[in-house]
Amino acid sequence: MFETRSRRSRIVLQLILTIAVVPFVVPLIAMLETSFEGAGWRNYLAVLQVPGFPRFFLNTIIIAVASMAIVYLATLMAAFGFSKLRVRAKEAYFWLMMAALTLPEVVLIAPLYSTAVKLGLLGTYWSVILPIAALQIPFTVLLARGYVDGIPDAVFEAARIDGANTWRIFWSILVPLSRPIAVALMVLVLIYAWNSYLLPKVFLIDDGMGVVTQLPEFFRRQYNDDTPKILAASVITAIPTIIAYVALQRQFERGMAAGAIK
Amino acid sequence: MTTTLDRSVGSDRKRPPAREGGHARRRARLLPGGLRWILPGFAISVGLIYYSIVYSGYLSFFDWRGGRALMTPVGFGNYMTALGDPVLWTALRNTIIYFVVVFVVQVAGGTLFAAAMHSNVRFANVYKVLVVIPVVVAPATLAPAQIQVWQSDGTVNRVLGALGLSGLEQSWIGQSTTSLLVVVLVGCWGAIGYGFILIYAGMSQIDPELIEAGRLDGAGNLRTLYSIVLPSLRPIIVSLAILNFITALKLFDNPWLITQGGPAHSSEFLGTMIYSETASTDRNLGYASALSILVLVIAVAVSIIMQMRGRERVARSSTTRKEVEDV
Repeated sequence: MFETRSRRSRIVLQLILTIAVVPFVVPLIAMLETSFEGAGWRNYLAVLQVPGFPRFFLNTIIIAVASMAIVYLATLMAAFGFSKLRVRAKEAYFWLMMAALTLPEVVLIAPLYSTAVKLGLLGTYWSVILPIAALQIPFTVLLARGYVDGIPDAVFEAARIDGANTWRIFWSILVPLSRPIAVALMVLVLIYAWNSYLLPKVFLIDDGMGVVTQLPEFFRRQYNDDTPKILAASVITAIPTIIAYVALQRQFERGMAAGAIK
Repeated sequence: MTTTLDRSVGSDRKRPPAREGGHARRRARLLPGGLRWILPGFAISVGLIYYSIVYSGYLSFFDWRGGRALMTPVGFGNYMTALGDPVLWTALRNTIIYFVVVFVVQVAGGTLFAAAMHSNVRFANVYKVLVVIPVVVAPATLAPAQIQVWQSDGTVNRVLGALGLSGLEQSWIGQSTTSLLVVVLVGCWGAIGYGFILIYAGMSQIDPELIEAGRLDGAGNLRTLYSIVLPSLRPIIVSLAILNFITALKLFDNPWLITQGGPAHSSEFLGTMIYSETASTDRNLGYASALSILVLVIAVAVSIIMQMRGRERVARSSTTRKEVEDV
């Protein structure tokens, strides 16, 4: 975008960029530095040996995988129905769904909390998985429908003429053909579920059911503000996400950009 | 966001019957029914969300501590309390400040990084990963790092001390004059990477010939950025405005983890208020519901207004651009 013909302008641009990135590096350095204070590497060992530490990861994985599975199936089925099948008053259903697109999740916690208490769902995985899925589905359906609209009807007609029933068409044609958008959407749901903090904080109040975003608080309570250990736990928690991002950069960015560039 | 779609989807839908006449309708009748395919997603999302909103509206007319406690009907009492609650007005003021500052910094910073990385720079990917880390890693995970930066013996104060500016050292998080500043700056830190990704993707879609033409006409780097690149990014910037506003309205993670909304409610946001009323020991679920309904009304109203104004401006800018191209 910027034209840098001379060597000097190239160096100036590089310098500006390097200065601009400093505020991004400072917290990461502070985090690493503090996590080694005192006992050095043994802070990390101590954190890893805390009973229940793997449980936080396991809980997050369960919630993320279940949310992804629900959103994946519900989204592709709905995109198929909205785009390629006959539904009376289809657009009315679609608009009811899209009206929830920009709903802030905090609006749901008071009613869902009292409902979860009544139904005995408080502290169960479902109390977090269902709201996550509900909040993601309008968005994923919107993007998936746009994508499926782009697949020619003729493909589906040909399959129907060959005698495939709707179920078969869904699995053998729609699912494989919509893989690119599905991957981008699943990456988005994964980030959302992995990073969600408010919903688990309200609904998973028991330490045994905690998720990774609650780890810093867990350590604060257990170890009375042992800051190096809290930060060691943060580093350990951040690493899987950073590795996932670096490995799947393009899918991450496509997923995030898909929402805004329509 | 919603309304943009309305147009594109709506126009797509109307076109085929007009072109193909009765054929399309006959074909549509031959299609298998799709209601049960829509139903699972519809039940989970629309079911749960609309149920919550309706139930929230109902609860907002009661005082209720949850569980088996007595529900006392109070009419519009909770709404009246909310509107007379100075904390709500502080939270609204903070929300607006947060939105404006983070949005401006996000667009400016995102554009700078995106433009630089579209140019010929070394180690572009290293910069990119560093800028995007606060977007992909949970705020809850990174908040302890930010506390480390801003606390009394943290990085900022140490740097100020080393620069001989120890007079400026202060307890950034612990005093009501600067707590909001910390939350806003941490918000910018997390938002620039997101703006960068969207603006970077948007810049890739700009026709290189357009930029080349500008260059031939003698436009420099900044002129190109301002007169060619930014106008093409307008739809993305409108999206970012709406997304940022919704983020500010529901903000919870960072203020809660860094300042707990304090001291003395100075960094309170609607998200932290609703959370306290829902989950603290002296909760009032009715009041939390009334606040939720207020947030909902603001969210819907503002996204509609921004969407409409954004669309007008997009329409106007695209016609002017077309005129320019025609000439």
